[in-house]
Amino acid sequence: MWKYLLEKEFKQFFRNPGLPKMAIAFPVLMMLVFPFAVSMEIRNINLVVVDNNKSTVSAQLIEKCTSSGYFKLIDICQSPEKAQEYMDDNRADAIITIESDFDEETGKGTGLPLGIKVNTVNGTKGSIGAQYIASCIRMFLKEQDTGTAGNSTPTIDISEKYYYNPYMDYKVFMVPALIVIAITMVTGFFPALNIVGEKETGTIEQINVTPVKKTAFIICKLIPYWVIALFILTACLIIAWLVFGYTCHGNLLSLYLFSGLQIIVTAGLGLLISNYSNNAQQAMFIIWFFMMIFMLMSGIFTPIASMPEWAKVITYFNPMRYYADAMRAIFLKGSSPLDVWYDAAGLLAIGTAVVSWAIFSYKKTE
Amino acid sequence: MKEFFAFIKKEFLHIFRDKRTILIVMIMPIVQIILFGFAISTEVNNVRVAIVGDTTDPEVRKVIDRIDNNKYLTVTEILSNTNEISPKFQRNEADVAVCFSRNFDSELHSGGKASIRIIGDGSDPNTAQMITSYVSGAIQDEQDDITIDYAGEQKTSMSPVVQLMYNPAMKSSYNFVPGVMGLILMLICSMMTAISIVKEKETGTMELLLVSPVKPLWIIISKAMPYLVLSIANFVSILLLSHYVMEVPVNGSLFLLSGVALLFIIASLAIGLLISVIASNQRTALLISGMGLTMPTMIFSGIIFPCESMPEILQWVSHIIPAKWFIIMVKKIMIQGDGFVYIIKELSILAGMAAALLAISIKSFKTRLQ
Amino acid sequence: MSTELDTNSSYAMEIRNLTKKFGNFTAVDNISFNVRKGEIFGFLGANGAGKTTAMKILCGLSRPTAGEGTVAGFDINNEQEKIKRHIGYMSQKFALYPDLTVRENIRLFGGIYGLADPEIKAKTNNMLQTLEMENVRDKLAGELPLGWKQKLSFSIALIHGPEIIFLDEPTGGVDPETRRRFWEMIYEASEKGITVFVTTHYMDEAEYCDRVSIMVDGRIEALDSPAALKTKYKATNMDAVFRTIARKAQREE
Repeated sequence: MWKYLLEKEFKQFFRNPGLPKMAIAFPVLMMLVFPFAVSMEIRNINLVVVDNNKSTVSAQLIEKCTSSGYFKLIDICQSPEKAQEYMDDNRADAIITIESDFDEETGKGTGLPLGIKVNTVNGTKGSIGAQYIASCIRMFLKEQDTGTAGNSTPTIDISEKYYYNPYMDYKVFMVPALIVIAITMVTGFFPALNIVGEKETGTIEQINVTPVKKTAFIICKLIPYWVIALFILTACLIIAWLVFGYTCHGNLLSLYLFSGLQIIVTAGLGLLISNYSNNAQQAMFIIWFFMMIFMLMSGIFTPIASMPEWAKVITYFNPMRYYADAMRAIFLKGSSPLDVWYDAAGLLAIGTAVVSWAIFSYKKTE
Repeated sequence: MKEFFAFIKKEFLHIFRDKRTILIVMIMPIVQIILFGFAISTEVNNVRVAIVGDTTDPEVRKVIDRIDNNKYLTVTEILSNTNEISPKFQRNEADVAVCFSRNFDSELHSGGKASIRIIGDGSDPNTAQMITSYVSGAIQDEQDDITIDYAGEQKTSMSPVVQLMYNPAMKSSYNFVPGVMGLILMLICSMMTAISIVKEKETGTMELLLVSPVKPLWIIISKAMPYLVLSIANFVSILLLSHYVMEVPVNGSLFLLSGVALLFIIASLAIGLLISVIASNQRTALLISGMGLTMPTMIFSGIIFPCESMPEILQWVSHIIPAKWFIIMVKKIMIQGDGFVYIIKELSILAGMAAALLAISIKSFKTRLQ
Repeated sequence: MSTELDTNSSYAMEIRNLTKKFGNFTAVDNISFNVRKGEIFGFLGANGAGKTTAMKILCGLSRPTAGEGTVAGFDINNEQEKIKRHIGYMSQKFALYPDLTVRENIRLFGGIYGLADPEIKAKTNNMLQTLEMENVRDKLAGELPLGWKQKLSFSIALIHGPEIIFLDEPTGGVDPETRRRFWEMIYEASEKGITVFVTTHYMDEAEYCDRVSIMVDGRIEALDSPAALKTKYKATNMDAVFRTIARKAQREE
C-alpha cells in the first residue's frame, strides 16, 4: 500500500506546474541574493559634526572619525539646531558636538567637552554607531596622549581575536541560517496546502472510504518533502561553496541528519494545520503565523539570550531554535552531533509530538 | 452603481460568513505584535565569560571582578589553557573567553605592561563584537583606575557621554513594531485579495461575474473592499496594542499616520491583485504571497538588516519594496514626531508605487480576460 | 421484527433507528431499513432530505449519533474500517485525482485495496478495454469528459470486488444517453451479485431499482418496489409518487 501512496504523492508534486519550480527557485534565489543583503555590519552612518572649537585638534578628531570608514560626513555646521534638523529628517544618524574649549581641556587631560547624540529608533544601528564613535574618540585621545602622559603608568594591552570567523564576515554567519529558513519554509508551506487541497477537490473522501491506514497516508505525504528538502540542502551547500567559498567545518552528514529531523517537524506541522483548516487560505495564514514566530524567535536574527524569560520559555517549543543552533554550530564551528545533542533531542521530541498529532487528528470517520 | 453596491454587499457577506478565517486574521497580528514587540531585542544579555589565566594573581582577580560585576557579563568558567576554549564554543557553553598573560600582576606593575586577549565566538559576528566591546569596556575601567592611582586625581575619565535620541531606553520595540506592522498589513492584504480572485477564477464564477453589467474595475474594487476594511481593523488593533501595551509613542499626527497606512494598504491590495493575475491556481497564489512576499519584505525593508550596509544593487532592490517606505514613515511619524513636510519624499514614492501597481494589475487583469 | 443483527442473513445491510444530529439539527431522524443482498436499492429524497448524510454513515465516513446496524456484516458504530474493505463508493463530485492519469488512478486505488502488481495490471487492461478508454489511458483524469469520469469512478469503485457499492447521485449533469449507458453498467454489476445502493433525484432512474425508499425531512416515508409504490399512491409513474410524498416536507433546502 505504501508504494502506491508514495508514487501518487511524488507524481502529484512533480506534475504540478508551479510547485517544483518554486521549491527550487525559492531557496536558490535566497541563497544567491540574501547573503549580500543580510549584513548587520553597520556602515555609512550619517554623521553631522557641530564644531564650536574650530581648532586643529577638532579637525583632527573629525578626520579620525571619517577616515574610519564607518561614517559618512554629511555636514559640519555651527548651530545645534541645524544639526537637530538633520536628525529629524533622518539625514543624520549621529551628531558630534565639539565645545569651544575642546582643544584646551583635552590637551590638559582635564575633561572631554564633547557631546554625542545618536538616533536610536533603530536600536542596533544606534548602539553600534555610538560604540564606533566612542572607540574613534578613545583612539584619538590615545594618540594625543602619547606626548603628555609619561611612560610611568602601567597599561593593559587589550587585543581581540575571533575564532571561526577571524575577519568577522557576516555572510558566513547568515549562510547556514538562510539554509535553515529555506528548508523550513518550503517544508512547512507546501505540506500545509496539501491535505486541505485534497479536501477542496473532494479526493480525500474517496481515500477515506478506502481501508487505507492513517499512518501510511500521512507518512507517505511526508516523505516527498523529505526528499525535496534534502535536495534543497544539497543545492544550498553547493551554492555556499561555489559562490561564497564556504564549506562546512563539521561533518556534512550531520547537517543532513539535523535537516532530516527538522523536516519531520515542519512537514508534520504543515499537515497538522492542513487537517484543521477548512480551506487553503486558512491553512496558509496559520502556517505563516507560525513561520514568522519560528523565524523571529529562533535566534537567527536576534540572540535568544536577550529575550525576557517568558519568551525564552516559548523558544523551547520552537523547532527552528534547535535546528538553527545545530546547523550553525556544525557548519561554522565544526561541532559534532554529540556537542549539540540537546538540539537533536529537542527536534526529536517536537517532531514525535507533531507527527503523532497529525496522524491522530486526521480522521477517516467524522 | 446599484449593482456595484449589491456586489460589495455580496462580498462582505461571503467573507464574514467564514468566521474562522476572520478570527484568524484578527487574532494573528495581535499575538505576533505582542510576541515580537517584547521578545525581539538586539541587546546582548547574560553573556557567559570563560577565563583563562592565573586566578590567584591579584590583578587578574581584580579584572575578573570587574567583568563579573558588569550587568551584561557573568564569569561562568575558569579554564586552564586556551585549547579548552574551542570545545566550550562548540558546545555553546561560553560566549567569550578572556585570556590573561603570564604573571599578569608583576608584569603590569613592575614591567609597566601586561596583555589581555579577548577571544570572541566569531560564528555570530555581531553579537561577538558587542560582547568584546562590553568586556574591553570593563577592562578599560580597571585601566582608568590604575591610571588615576599612578597619575593622581587630576585626570578625569575620558569616556565620551552619549545621548540617545528618540529612544533613550533603547527599546527594540520602537524598531520592530513599525516593521512588524508593515509586514503583517502587507501580507494579509495581498494574500487575501489574491486568493479571493484566484478562487473565483478556479471555480469559474469569475466569468459569471464578468458577463454581468458591472465593469471589471468595479468588480475588482468590490472584491477588495472587505479586505480593505479588515486591514484597517488590523491596523487599528496593532496601533492600539503598540501604544498601550508596548508603549511605543505616537508623537506625530494620528491622522497623518492613518493616511499613510491607508495608502500602504491600497498598495498591498494592488500587489495581491497582481499575484492573482500571475497565479493560475490557489496554491501558487498562496505560496507566492506567503513565501515570495514575506522573505524579501523582511530582508529588504530594513526591519532587521540596515539597508545602508547592503551593496548598491541590493539597495536599489530595497527601494522597490513598498514596506520599506511605509516603515520609514511610520517611524518618523510615531517616534520622531515628524510632520507632513518631513515625509513628502517617502509619501510620494509610496503613492507612486500604489498608483503604478494598481494600473499594471488592472491592465493585465483586463488583457487576461480578453 | 428482530433487532438481533444476523451476519449470515440474506441482507447486505440492516439498519435500526439510525439518527444523526448536527447540533440542534437532526439530519437523519431515526430511520430503519434492510437492503437485500444483490438488489438495486434506490435511496430517494429531495436535496437536504438527509440522503447523503445517511449514506456517509453507511460508508463509514461518519459516525451515527444514535442507532445501530450492519453493512456487509460489520457494525456501523465501531467497525468502519472493516466496512470500508468490503464496499465501493462513488461520490457525487468527481473524486479521483485529476492530476493523475487514468492508469495511475486505477493503480493507486488498486494498491490501496491491497491488490498485487500483476493483479492490478490485469484489472487495468480489462477495465480500459470494457470502458473503451485504452487510448486515453495516459491522459490526466481531470481532462476527461464528465461522462467518462463517471464511468471511470464507477469502475474504480468496483476494483476490489466489493460486496456493496454506494453511488451518490452518480449521473448528475450528464445527458440521457450517457445516463442510460451508466445504468447498463449498474445492471452488469448487479448481475454479478453486487448490492447496489444508489441515491438519485431522477425519478425515471428510480424505476430501474428493485426497491426504493423515499426520504423526507430525515425520515423514510415510503419503502417498496416501484410498482408497489405506484399502486399504493395511485400514480402512473414514480415522479408522481415522489411529488405526493415530498409534499409533506417542512424543511427548506
